[in-house]
Amino acid sequence: MQRLQSTFVCYAIILPSMALLLSFVYLPVVWAFSKSLSAFEVGGRDTFVGLDNYVEYLSQDPTTFPSLLNMFLLTLFAVCVRLTFPLIVAKLIYVLPAERWRYLYRVVFLVPIVVPGVAVQLIWARMIYADAGLLNEALRALALQSWTHGWLSDPGTALVAVMMVGFPFVGGFEVLVYYAGLSAIPDSVEEAAEMEGCSGLSKFLRIDIPLVMSQLKLILMLTVIGGFQGFEGLFIMTRGGPGFATTVPGLWMYFNAFSFQRMGYACAIGVLLFVMIFALTVINIRYFRSAEEVKGEAA
Amino acid sequence: MPVRHLFRYGTLLAITGLGLYLLAPPKQAPSAADRPASRSGEAAQEPRFTIKIAPGQSYMPGIVPSGIGEPLRGLTTVIDRFEARFPDTHIEVLNVPAVREYLVTQLSSGSAPDIVNANVEDVWVDVHKDWYVPLDSFLQAPNPFVLERNDPHVPGARQWWDMFRYQAISRGKAAPNGKSYCLSLDMVETGIFYNKTLFAELGLQPPPDWEAFLVLLQDLRDAGKIPLLMSIGAFNDWCHDLVFDQLYHDLLPGIDLKQDASREGYLQGYLDPEEIAFLYREKDFFTRKDPRYRELWQHLRRLRDFTNSDLNSTDLTREFVNQQGAMLWSGSWLTYRLSADKGLGFDWGVFYLPPFTRKTSAYASLTPTPMCVIGGVASQFEVTNSAVADTDPGLPFAERIRNSQRLQRVIAFLQFLSLPENAETVINEYSCLIPNIVGVEPLPPLAPFVEILERRYTTTKWAYTFDLRFNDVMTRMLQMYLTDGVDLDEFLDWQERNLRAATTNFVSRKQLDLDGLEAAWQQRAAVRATMVDLPPTR
Repeated sequence: MQRLQSTFVCYAIILPSMALLLSFVYLPVVWAFSKSLSAFEVGGRDTFVGLDNYVEYLSQDPTTFPSLLNMFLLTLFAVCVRLTFPLIVAKLIYVLPAERWRYLYRVVFLVPIVVPGVAVQLIWARMIYADAGLLNEALRALALQSWTHGWLSDPGTALVAVMMVGFPFVGGFEVLVYYAGLSAIPDSVEEAAEMEGCSGLSKFLRIDIPLVMSQLKLILMLTVIGGFQGFEGLFIMTRGGPGFATTVPGLWMYFNAFSFQRMGYACAIGVLLFVMIFALTVINIRYFRSAEEVKGEAA
Repeated sequence: MPVRHLFRYGTLLAITGLGLYLLAPPKQAPSAADRPASRSGEAAQEPRFTIKIAPGQSYMPGIVPSGIGEPLRGLTTVIDRFEARFPDTHIEVLNVPAVREYLVTQLSSGSAPDIVNANVEDVWVDVHKDWYVPLDSFLQAPNPFVLERNDPHVPGARQWWDMFRYQAISRGKAAPNGKSYCLSLDMVETGIFYNKTLFAELGLQPPPDWEAFLVLLQDLRDAGKIPLLMSIGAFNDWCHDLVFDQLYHDLLPGIDLKQDASREGYLQGYLDPEEIAFLYREKDFFTRKDPRYRELWQHLRRLRDFTNSDLNSTDLTREFVNQQGAMLWSGSWLTYRLSADKGLGFDWGVFYLPPFTRKTSAYASLTPTPMCVIGGVASQFEVTNSAVADTDPGLPFAERIRNSQRLQRVIAFLQFLSLPENAETVINEYSCLIPNIVGVEPLPPLAPFVEILERRYTTTKWAYTFDLRFNDVMTRMLQMYLTDGVDLDEFLDWQERNLRAATTNFVSRKQLDLDGLEAAWQQRAAVRATMVDLPPTR
């Protein structure tokens, strides 16, 4: 009886959270699935159209292919830089001899996290890439006037310019995650490696990377999900332009929902994005080994 | 209690206090919303009507225009007068995001301000949802505040409409369903702001025609300046409409198929959306088969060679003010910024785009047709469904409009605001907008724009003719074309598909029957017989 009472209390405690979770997370998802089968606009009529929205997006919408390509390119680039640069920096911090310096560098790389992403995008768009921004003014100062560009408005440079936002790509969060992974490598493994003559780059590639695989996997998943879902930076900097040179499906979904009032069509794009992210997450979990699995195999 | 505990708890308290302080709402400058409902010794009373208005940045009390001068308070003054007249009413001024997303969410939940300032084209797409109150019945009735003056000859004594100076533009803002949802006290017009000092140094003059304009642009570029500062929006909206008018002006007698007696007097051959839909879908106008349409974009591309490299630039004024750019295509709102800047360091003037000649295009009028008006209403007040919140939501919207006392008071405020003495207080607080109220004279710096506004109204407004998707795709692909991302044929391919989608959507939403226009088309066959290079008939 006492156990039942205790269980009941536990369920009662989590009930409000579950109710909120259902109301604000799961219900909208179900709603989006159902609305993706409708021609629907806010405040307007709701007409069932079956799979028309999906068919239109996948076979008729001229933005589909370029925006998917942009999304894959941006995500691929983000994966590459977020799996390498922060890891290298984390390793460099980790090998510093004094804890005091390690602490200082960790703080130095972590502090920029407090700057909101929107502010970062605006700084890049208006201070660095602008007509009279840092980049063009530097080129003018170097008498390279002909190299100046409307970096974000030129179709030839817009996507690359968007990719380069955040250079040198050493995010504090990733550095900290990798640093934690490196710190968790047992001393015995380090010593064994040293004894076997494995050091420097060889140790980094053969010992460190396999043993921070959990962290790499985490960052990979977060980057892929962020790359597929995120569009705020593009909205702020280019609104997907020029043309559709920097449009991604998420951004097109937003425009359809709130600007063009094609809520059903936007829901269909959202559902397709969900399916893609879900599939990639499953693949990631299924085929990428974690550090624990690596350790298990080694044992 | 040990000292360390005191320190710990003290720190926690201090952090909590700091957090609460930071979370507290900021103190705002006194505004209309903050004033007490009672005045001069009257007993405080709960207002019967609290009307919310989001007037936009041009009128917003407390805003310092361009960061120069004193904060605005004209609207506050008028609200004070209104509340003195109607003590049971409290007007609350709101500063809301000027984005469509805000409006859509607020209107769908019935919690929008009673009066909003929104582009009426954004309103048109939602009128069938009963989100906005049609104003025609009020505009066609006398303004009661004018009637009180007992002078039947004063504008407004017969119809409220009569109080508005620019009838063509004001009435032209009627939605495609024929109803007016927008009330504007002021106008805005575009023009080319130019650096007079620089022009004098280089021996240059405002050009008389388009050919001379292109020569001027080249001279300025040779002088090391950015000849013309303009954004992609100016290309897509203003420039597009002006060049279209130059190339199609002479065709209007043969292609303006819908003659609406109530509008033709002031819209003079305006191509309505259904006319464009018909011409495109049935007669191959505005396609690659239409040589004028093809040429239109080539003129824009040629002009682009003389403009700023970044068409997305959001601060072209800076380039003009620091004299990197010699000319800036902007609107009357810029006059205050330039007039008030004591450290500008150069004289400036305004001219309007010059006309095409036969040298520019074989399709230009033999006698050059002056460039038309593309500007229009500035502040655009719409009354939302919140204004009828005192009625039963289950009733038909028209009945709610008839029954609502709250709506009567909202309209009364707008009628009061449009009285010349009140409109003057608000509009002429600084030189930005041109008064649209008879009896309110524009401020002297706006004189060039007043002259421009006297011209003939544009043939059509392409950017706002169809849905917002059409405009978005057109803007994007035009930018691609102007920046050599696609060639003309690829751009036209996009534009044709865009027009196909937009006209299909338009025809189905409005349930139009374009066949009716075929008869009008046939009737004008003789007129078109003298015209050259029309798209080949199918």
